[in-house]
Amino acid sequence: MCYAWGSDDEIAASGECGGAVTTILKFLLEDGIVDAVLAVKKGSDLYDAVPTLISDPEKIIETAGSLHCGTLNMAKTLEKYLDGARNMKIAVTAKPCDAMTLVELMKREQIDEDNIIVVGVNCGGTMPPVKAREMIEKFYEIDPDAVIKEEIAKGNLIIETADGEQEISIDELEDQGYGRRTNCRRCEINIPRMADLALGNWGVIGPLAGKATFVEVFSEKGADILDKAINAGVLNTQEPIPKGVEIRANIDKIMAKLASKWQAKDFDESRGEIMATFAQYLDEFDRCIKCYGCRESCPICYCEECTLEADGPEWLAKGTIPPSPMFHMERLIHMVDSCTNCGQCEEVCPAEIPLAKIWHEINSKMKEVYGYERGVKEGMPPFSYFPLEAGK
Amino acid sequence: MEWEPKIIVFCCNWCSYGGADTAGTARMQYPPNVRVIRVMCSGRINPLFILKAFDEGADGVMVAGCHFGDCHYDRGNFACDRRMTALKTVLTTMGIEEGRFFLDWISASEGEKFANTMTMVSEKVKELGPFSWRQKAEAG
Repeated sequence: MCYAWGSDDEIAASGECGGAVTTILKFLLEDGIVDAVLAVKKGSDLYDAVPTLISDPEKIIETAGSLHCGTLNMAKTLEKYLDGARNMKIAVTAKPCDAMTLVELMKREQIDEDNIIVVGVNCGGTMPPVKAREMIEKFYEIDPDAVIKEEIAKGNLIIETADGEQEISIDELEDQGYGRRTNCRRCEINIPRMADLALGNWGVIGPLAGKATFVEVFSEKGADILDKAINAGVLNTQEPIPKGVEIRANIDKIMAKLASKWQAKDFDESRGEIMATFAQYLDEFDRCIKCYGCRESCPICYCEECTLEADGPEWLAKGTIPPSPMFHMERLIHMVDSCTNCGQCEEVCPAEIPLAKIWHEINSKMKEVYGYERGVKEGMPPFSYFPLEAGK
Repeated sequence: MEWEPKIIVFCCNWCSYGGADTAGTARMQYPPNVRVIRVMCSGRINPLFILKAFDEGADGVMVAGCHFGDCHYDRGNFACDRRMTALKTVLTTMGIEEGRFFLDWISASEGEKFANTMTMVSEKVKELGPFSWRQKAEAG
């Protein structure tokens, strides 16, 4: 654990909190440790985040700074479009759900573990772009395009424009249906401990507050990179202040507690009388237009031939809309053990079916049954890999 | 005419189907609304079989295999157990009652257990009434 900040002034200025992430990514490219970096850069505006593959160290600066409306999953990009990093060494930035999905895909042999470096970033939640714009107009009474920065700190969402900044409590926003995405509210993992490195501003106090990033190392690969970067002189570090470490742990605890509160609330809605639950789900699934968006966006879903479109046997009757609820159950039975609650399915659903909630709820029940925690390096997904023991 | 449920029972060739055979040769009575589908091993049963059965209009589904350690193929029923437990979780979370899907282990010598289980399953499903998750789609 240490405080780190970049020694390059340009990066330190455009990145968040000293630009440690950007510095590390740039160093990895310059030193030839990786062939390319997969990171997120700003699209058309602050509410648009685009995954981008960079092999030129000078271009890394484009990815500096954080975007809180980046509702992406980097693991999907890596697995689907970059051949699971089988042909090149890639460093990828990942928030906890990305990192967890990467781990799940490594277990399922879709991503080459030896070829990727996961640079994790702490995450307290992302916001849906359209709703975020709406929220800024409605609650902050600011033109969304005038916003230059947003930040979540101490339970408040801070919106900064050229004229100054405003903050509103995130609880208040979320009670009215705005704020973070629903799956992010329920997410209890804020520090990506399954990544090689985890960086974030939590716990940086004292004179370096806002100027440095808190770095925690989780693997030998991560330690090696950090050492090399420090020795090359691109990254400055300092021992963390013990109080800061404590504060960081506390923030993590508070966020996890808040998440479990949301989980209880959301899951309880569907724990009423069993027939009512059934009717409710039928209602939700009835809106399905069978666009296959959830399948296409799901980062765990990778088969080339899908049972949903199979001809022999024809599992799912063709030519009917809405499709039978079997559509969703088929997907569930194939992948729910690895669901990392990244919310991609719900994000793309044109019918606004609360898929992420259903998947998260079933995944947490699976965790109770099989004792398998998704997203961590230990253990294998129970549907596909299992020991020979009864009742497990 | 009184409504009779449709129940699909997947039996593995070596134990449960043998159990059904034993029940038959001993002339034990069990309800006729049980339709048995024989598979070579309970490990062959894809959870999609069960979903498809419900989709096509079954009111209840049961999976029967060998007791643990008795599998003809050594480990098929362990795989079955894993998959069906997962399926059960999915079904119950979706609001489909526990009394519609059963998983049990019946050996070839347990003709009586087979007959009793079928009676129990049939009665439970009858109590719950007809089932369709397509109802809404069909009505609309």
